[in-house]
Amino acid sequence: MDLSLSTRSQDDFEVIEVSGEIDVYTAPRLREALVELVSKGHHNLIVDVERVEFLDSTGLGVLVGGLKRVRSHDGSLDIVCTHDRLLKIFRITGLTKVFGIFDSVDAAVASH
Amino acid sequence: MTGHEPATVTRLSRPDIDITVPADGAYLSVLRTAAAGLAARLDFTLDDIEDLRVAVDEACSILLAQASDGRLRCTFTVSDASLTVAARVPSHDPRPPTQDGFAWTVLTALATKVEVKVVSPSTGGHDLVICLTHARSTDPAS
Repeated sequence: MDLSLSTRSQDDFEVIEVSGEIDVYTAPRLREALVELVSKGHHNLIVDVERVEFLDSTGLGVLVGGLKRVRSHDGSLDIVCTHDRLLKIFRITGLTKVFGIFDSVDAAVASH
Repeated sequence: MTGHEPATVTRLSRPDIDITVPADGAYLSVLRTAAAGLAARLDFTLDDIEDLRVAVDEACSILLAQASDGRLRCTFTVSDASLTVAARVPSHDPRPPTQDGFAWTVLTALATKVEVKVVSPSTGGHDLVICLTHARSTDPAS
């Protein structure tokens, strides 16, 4: 029910693995994690939401905020997601054209 | 193809379920779960259930931003063809939701019908209400 976050490095990227539910209650923790990574100089991020059971517009707003932060440093923020229930929210809001969305972390890394 | 009876569908004009929770984001999961559980019991499709789960969350998230008191109330009303959820919070200064935001975009995309209104309860003040209806995609009885 809650949100879990873990971070690891892969090649030149920081991968944030998210599990649980991202909503108005939990999204601030994801925001804090993204802000902290950027403040530490990590500007190429991959957010893996494969284990996310629920995502709403608050979560999308946090991801967009993260994208703006890394782009201000010429960085990137890609999404790993294959679940249609989540992809539908990205499509509705037009964000499939804003984020790189990939089937796997390896595919996200290989795209750069 | 026999043996499966759809869950009993009441056909009442009054709310079938009435849930009040603290006006705090921590309780949105309770309302999402209630919406999804009710839709599942009514044999909505999996896609409809997910749509309702998200739509209820978005409506309540919008309301929480304007809540001036500590309660968020959701009523669920079932008809043959749809499930209607009316979410409300007391608000000192009720305003229409921002229609260019992600929350409104998602809510209106996933719900069949969305209405926003301000009502004045007998207890005084104003309640901001978002009423969303999700039509059943398929009739399980057909």
